[in-house]
Amino acid sequence: MKRFITHGTRCLTLALICSALLAGAAAAGELDAFAGKKGKIDIAGGTAHIPVMKDAAKRIMQANPEIRISVAAGGSGVGVQKVGEGLVDIGNTGRPLSDDEVAKYGLKSFAFALDGVAVAVSPKNSVANLTAEQVQQIFAGKISNWKGVGGRDAAIHLYTRDEASGTREVFWEKLLKKGAIVETANVVASNGAMKSAVADDSDAIGYVSIGHLDETIKAPTLDGVAPTQENARSGKYPIVRKLYMNTKGTPQGLCAAFINYIMGPEGIRMTAAAGYLPLH
Amino acid sequence: MAARLLYCAAAVSALAVLAILAFLVYFSLPLFQGDQLAALFSWHWRPLQNEFGILPMIAASLALAVSSMLVAYPLALGVCCFAHGLGPDWAARPLLVAVRLMSSVPTVVYGLVAAFSLVPLIRGASSGSGLCWLAALLTLAVLALPTIVLLLDNQFQRLESEIRLTAAALGLTRVQEMLQLTLPLSSRGLVMAAILGFGRALGDTLVPLMLAGNAPQPPLSLLDPMRTLTAHIALVVATDSQSAAYNSLFACGLILFLLTVLVNLGLRRIRTGATAHG
Amino acid sequence: MADRQEKLSVAFAWLSALLVPALLAMVTGFLLRRGLPSLQVALWFGDTPPLAALLHGAPVFDGIWPACLGTLYLVALVALMAVPLGVASGIFLAEYAGGRTKLAFSFCIELLAGIPSILMGLFGFALILFLRRSFAPEANTCLLLSAFCLTLLVLPYLISSTRLAIESLPDALRLTGASLGLSHWQLIRRILLPASAPGIFSGVILAIGRAAEDTAVILMTGVVANAGTPGSLTAKYEALPFHIYYLAAEYQSPAELAQAFATALVLLALTGLLLLAARRLQAGLEIK
Repeated sequence: MKRFITHGTRCLTLALICSALLAGAAAAGELDAFAGKKGKIDIAGGTAHIPVMKDAAKRIMQANPEIRISVAAGGSGVGVQKVGEGLVDIGNTGRPLSDDEVAKYGLKSFAFALDGVAVAVSPKNSVANLTAEQVQQIFAGKISNWKGVGGRDAAIHLYTRDEASGTREVFWEKLLKKGAIVETANVVASNGAMKSAVADDSDAIGYVSIGHLDETIKAPTLDGVAPTQENARSGKYPIVRKLYMNTKGTPQGLCAAFINYIMGPEGIRMTAAAGYLPLH
Repeated sequence: MAARLLYCAAAVSALAVLAILAFLVYFSLPLFQGDQLAALFSWHWRPLQNEFGILPMIAASLALAVSSMLVAYPLALGVCCFAHGLGPDWAARPLLVAVRLMSSVPTVVYGLVAAFSLVPLIRGASSGSGLCWLAALLTLAVLALPTIVLLLDNQFQRLESEIRLTAAALGLTRVQEMLQLTLPLSSRGLVMAAILGFGRALGDTLVPLMLAGNAPQPPLSLLDPMRTLTAHIALVVATDSQSAAYNSLFACGLILFLLTVLVNLGLRRIRTGATAHG
Repeated sequence: MADRQEKLSVAFAWLSALLVPALLAMVTGFLLRRGLPSLQVALWFGDTPPLAALLHGAPVFDGIWPACLGTLYLVALVALMAVPLGVASGIFLAEYAGGRTKLAFSFCIELLAGIPSILMGLFGFALILFLRRSFAPEANTCLLLSAFCLTLLVLPYLISSTRLAIESLPDALRLTGASLGLSHWQLIRRILLPASAPGIFSGVILAIGRAAEDTAVILMTGVVANAGTPGSLTAKYEALPFHIYYLAAEYQSPAELAQAFATALVLLALTGLLLLAARRLQAGLEIK
């Protein structure tokens, strides 16, 4: 079984590489926007964005080594602050900017993908369905044993994100209805860290961007609805948000080219490959 | 001319510490307006509800540093006594080489190894996630051990060359010499090593950040997650620069700085006491 | 009674002494087991041809080459800034300073030595905020800032090792200098510095090791997860310790986790080698 799975993923990787190569050939024209340009783009913020940003950076820098793109994490709060202070060129957020933030810094937002936030547990966990109310009670510390939601007799290990996280904000607003998250919860700093923490801990519960779901973690259905991109698109799965790139003022030069690239056909393919729904 | 240049270099080095202090104070100034200061001294860190208490972090930092010293210090003393008489002579040199090697292991490497060996072990043995005070405590103890051993070794070496003859004249064995002369005579050195080790443990960032779970709550159980001042700074440096959360960053920095000053004053007091007496 | 106490002490000393090699073996064994299989060319260069990366600077992705270069540049910059400053301060404290100046300066430097590295990072971060608000609105966290903050971190090591190396020279050397009619500066330049060079060098090497392994400072001052090879002093960069920290928390696949362990092996080898080099110099000194 295990061998079959690794074989399966290998085939999948191969297929992905092939399609990436094909896409690369087809999209050579899109990278022309960067030809002959020089300079750097610094990107920071939302951690759900990172796979797409990395992929784009890789393609652009391989086509034109004169351009340097750095990608840092931090969370949506960092994205807003850093781009607002001018410390980076593009600040990513996994939530819409508040009016305050727009007014204070003069930011411009570019939404490029639709994403959902899903509850995540270990694949070893037998719990396959949770109601919104159960999730609220778990995160408030009122249910502290998996037995309470139909699982085995074991303490629930809570994982949450830091305050800079847009994923946390969306999860807290839309699923927890701004209810309390108990202070004993472990705090991790990114979607990637959440995924590896939950994957390693068979009694864990946390929440990640749907794009980060894969076979190492399991997403129980929420009120009977599976957290998939299809259900997010159709509106059946309610815990959704958009992913934004933000710039201070209207983007210029390289930065504008980068945003156009992400919004263009090639960017749409990369966004979809990372597990998100492209908006255009 | 050369003397003046050298003076400038030394002045720059010495002033660096004042510059750090000045920046910390300058950026914590907003705290002293209104009721911000009182807000810091609460037991609840809930930025979304506008509560910015850093008491849990202060308590966690102190608890972690003290507890890891309680583990590391006796062991370090044991290692040092072993190398100076309680163990066979041939073993002393290789042991100290091993200690030096230990001291060269990067902090992040200790953190990585502990995260994937110690943490699953604790998780298996308890009902928690394994990311907790205990995991950070043990790792920090390992990290601080070589520092303390090397300091103590230095002390013992100096002392031994002074008392070797006396000990021989008294007909003491190596073990007796260690237990009855060297140890009691180096009490000041013992205290200094303890304080320095405490300072080292207090200032470490990576170990608590990677292993302690970072939940902002008072340290009540060894198996609960905790968040130290250092980890708090690393986590919060990220947030919005006008908010109170951001201010608390520099408040934490200032508190850490003051603790460092206290540690150094303590050391200095003991040392000047030592020269006055002997 | 006393005898029993003695026996207990000896037993405890054995126990703690055995713990040291046991811990070392556990840490290295664990790293070797988890990291050795991925210690291959691909670890360094990902899917970029190594020669293209080395000779033509082809961008490397999914490899630790950019992080190696980042750490290398960082360490070189730190050495460039910290060594002259640290050695000069050390000479001053050993040879020129006296009375209150010496007391005040050495207190400040001891204090600097005690400051947690995260505060150096916070200082760098605050410095950038300050610069941007005042006279350099373009200032940003970068390689140079990290190097500057790391310089502050390692400076005390350099100063005290230089000072110690000079102060522990035999008085006979000074007398020789005086009898040759050398000025104070000539004495330092021609006699004291050459004689204390091994001690100073070993301090330099240890300081470099410290700069190479620190994560907390660079975490706040410009290191990022993906930046390619460092482009300029004012660019963001990657570094080995941060790469390990990042992968430990963010690994997306077992292969990435194995890469973290392999990177840890590389860093461990680097700091271990630096330590051995420093020890050799010291040993040479002792034999003389």
